[in-house]
Amino acid sequence: MTGRGSPSRFLTAVLHNGVGRYVRQLQRLQLLFSPTAADARGARQFVEEAAQDFARQHPDVVLYVSPHSGPGPAPVLRAEYLNGTVRDELIASKTSEEIMQLATKLANQSGLDIIRIRKPFHTDNPSVQGQWHPLTNKPSILTVQGPRLQPQ
Amino acid sequence: MCSGASREEEREVEAGQAVPEKEESSKPSLIHPPPRRRSYVPPEDLQSRLECHVREVFGPSVPEDWQQAPLQENRLKYRLLARLVAELGHAVPNSQLHCMRRAGDVLGFYRTPVKDGTEIGELAATELPPNLKIV
Repeated sequence: MTGRGSPSRFLTAVLHNGVGRYVRQLQRLQLLFSPTAADARGARQFVEEAAQDFARQHPDVVLYVSPHSGPGPAPVLRAEYLNGTVRDELIASKTSEEIMQLATKLANQSGLDIIRIRKPFHTDNPSVQGQWHPLTNKPSILTVQGPRLQPQ
Repeated sequence: MCSGASREEEREVEAGQAVPEKEESSKPSLIHPPPRRRSYVPPEDLQSRLECHVREVFGPSVPEDWQQAPLQENRLKYRLLARLVAELGHAVPNSQLHCMRRAGDVLGFYRTPVKDGTEIGELAATELPPNLKIV
């Protein structure tokens, strides 16, 4: 199966993030869970134990904890990035440590699509002294054209 | 809670004690303990209150250390627990009745406070870092 069947992109950082200062691309994390459902137990433990630590370690991410009462959808961790990408991760039947790892992973990502990257490298300045071409290092008379140069 | 009390009453009927039955049926407030388990904070003078109830219920047969008073007899156990429920508003749940074997066990149970309310609500009331919002 070629790569043409699925979308792909080049390796890039959002607005050259990291070349100068580094700006965390994760804008906010929303923790949607039910206070009574059985599969949201890890989410509840995360809120009680680890959410404050996570918030202190990542002061530039806003963490919203939204318990919705009554039977609702599965517990989900919603990540919103500065480029507008919204990513939902299911946290049903996950432990508090796993949710912490997941949140840290999301915090370290940029919001770019997770698709095939064509090349594992990218540079804006591929050549410093000029890209070689067959007339590099040849006498410049080969390229001159004009009235002074006539076949003798 | 009500079914536990009535089960003890049935046991007393089988024991054939007619006189105490009449005493208990004339006090309806002791037969139905409060149904819901709300928050409970143990009062300051819990030990003295409990001691005085134990002495009233047991009468002359209280041993030296009142905390070792056995609750094997269901009549005495029921009377003691019903009085405590009426006074403190906090009942021993059915699942823990078998643990109450001495007056000391009852004292230990009534010493533990019970919190009512969600953990998340309490968490919202504490001081949170500025980037953590609850709802």
